[in-house]
Amino acid sequence: MNLEDWKSQIKRGTLEYCILLMISKKAYYGYEIISELEKSPMLAAKESTIYPLLRRLLKDGLLSSYWQETTEGLPPRKYYTITEDGKTYLTAMSAEWQSLLQAIAEISGTT
Amino acid sequence: MDKILNDYLEKTDRYLRPMPAGERVDIIKEIKSEMLELEAEKHLTPTEITERLGSPKELATAYLGSSIAKDGSFSLRKLLCIASFTGLASGSIFVLPITSVLACGLLFSAIIAPIGGIIKLVGFLLGFDVPFVMFQFGSYTAHPLAAFPLSVLFGLLLFLAGKGLWKLTIKYVKALSQSKAKLHAFDAEL
Repeated sequence: MNLEDWKSQIKRGTLEYCILLMISKKAYYGYEIISELEKSPMLAAKESTIYPLLRRLLKDGLLSSYWQETTEGLPPRKYYTITEDGKTYLTAMSAEWQSLLQAIAEISGTT
Repeated sequence: MDKILNDYLEKTDRYLRPMPAGERVDIIKEIKSEMLELEAEKHLTPTEITERLGSPKELATAYLGSSIAKDGSFSLRKLLCIASFTGLASGSIFVLPITSVLACGLLFSAIIAPIGGIIKLVGFLLGFDVPFVMFQFGSYTAHPLAAFPLSVLFGLLLFLAGKGLWKLTIKYVKALSQSKAKLHAFDAEL
């Protein structure tokens, strides 16, 4: 049994959901997402995972993006926002997630 | 900008060459933005920044992998992507070149076969034999009239075979980039 392997499988499956959840609340830029996820060891992911994932979500039409200048002499940032399609997709994901949590609770007998 | 960081971006850009120029510029700009932010806000040194981002090769491979796996459509650009992905991802040195080139060969033949059939048919109708185009299958040589429908049928079969093999190639790349993603996930935890 390999716990790390299991954890990384869970991470792979949930990262997309977490990113959509975050961006549905406010516009985020790439590094902001990465450092937010870093706070939880279960979700921490490298640039080479997050950026290509964001790119795929853009191409799938779930996200849109814009470049914005920053004030304090920092370079412009690329912000991501959720599209209507993204919201619909996220709602469906949330429902599935809830039913998964419920199923696990029932199996473990905590309800 | 620091030389180490600049070199890093240039290398990454070079690995991303098979992608459309517009996308590449956008990707590099985004990485550069994060580099400068890490430098200014987190006070990381250029070496710490490049260590954090992983090698240019690794980063570019992740982008190429996810752009290839997006759908099963065929394009020359995608073939180029697969070619460089193959060069970057170890373990695929045999499978990908064989399947992708064979798929192209089959698709190409699928176009050529009916064209040959048409040439033979037109030649026959106009009353002259076209000896360098003929439908041959083992020892059987088809009559010029039969050659056309047969070539269309074989063209179709070749097309299906090529298309199937192409899809298989995409699936393989997808599996490969997923196993890579798994490794990255490990790295992040360490």
